Amino acid sequence: MTDQPAPTHERRILGTELLWTFGVGVLVAAILGIIVFTALTIDINPPSNVEHIDPKTLHLSGEFAEQNLGTTVGADGGVTVRVIATQFMFVPRCIAVPRGRLVTLRFATPDVVHGLLITGTNVNTMVVPGFVSQVYTTFTRTGDLLMPCHEYCGLGHSDMWANVQVLPDSEFKPDRDGRVSCAQR
Amino acid sequence: MIATDQPSAADAPSEVADEVDEAALAQVMRVVPLGAAVLAGTAVALLVIGYLAIYLLIFLPRGAVG
Repeated sequence: MTDQPAPTHERRILGTELLWTFGVGVLVAAILGIIVFTALTIDINPPSNVEHIDPKTLHLSGEFAEQNLGTTVGADGGVTVRVIATQFMFVPRCIAVPRGRLVTLRFATPDVVHGLLITGTNVNTMVVPGFVSQVYTTFTRTGDLLMPCHEYCGLGHSDMWANVQVLPDSEFKPDRDGRVSCAQR
Repeated sequence: MIATDQPSAADAPSEVADEVDEAALAQVMRVVPLGAAVLAGTAVALLVIGYLAIYLLIFLPRGAVG
């Protein structure tokens, strides 16, 4: 078999394919570049907290005991929200958060896999037994936001939702213990 | 063994391949990749525009998350 030069049209097709490969490579690099750039400049990252917790005892003591659930303002002014996701409700059903401040949301479950999102925000995570799911965000506008379970968890899944009340700083007032509850309306 | 009593596909002129004119083929092959590239390029461009629109107009205004 002798080596013969490829016909002109085959060389042209190869050239087109190489050009296309280059163009797609540039696009993929640009999209990855945007993701890396926003991660480095405005700190947008996928939630990647890996923290273990015993699902059998999490409600008995520690940070997910009943008296510690809800919104807490620490001595340093940091806002932390602790919520238990269980069949078929979030505890507490309503959480109060301030607008314009960094809020750390921590979730755990004693039973099955749940998931949640907060409408109008980028908060979106799964809650897996044995792990603490942590997401931090800054709420940019006041109002009531829906927080439904988005991971099918059983027959009552569709009834499992909570309310996130985003309050202006003037209404976000912690009590003596640093705790904030939803405003009564 | 060739069965002479069986119909052949070559009996119908529409089933027989045309003679290939190399010059005409080369002429077609100059245009076909361009059309394919324009079609695929338009589809990919629409996809990228949609991605950028959602990313810049919806995702980023919703605030940082991590």
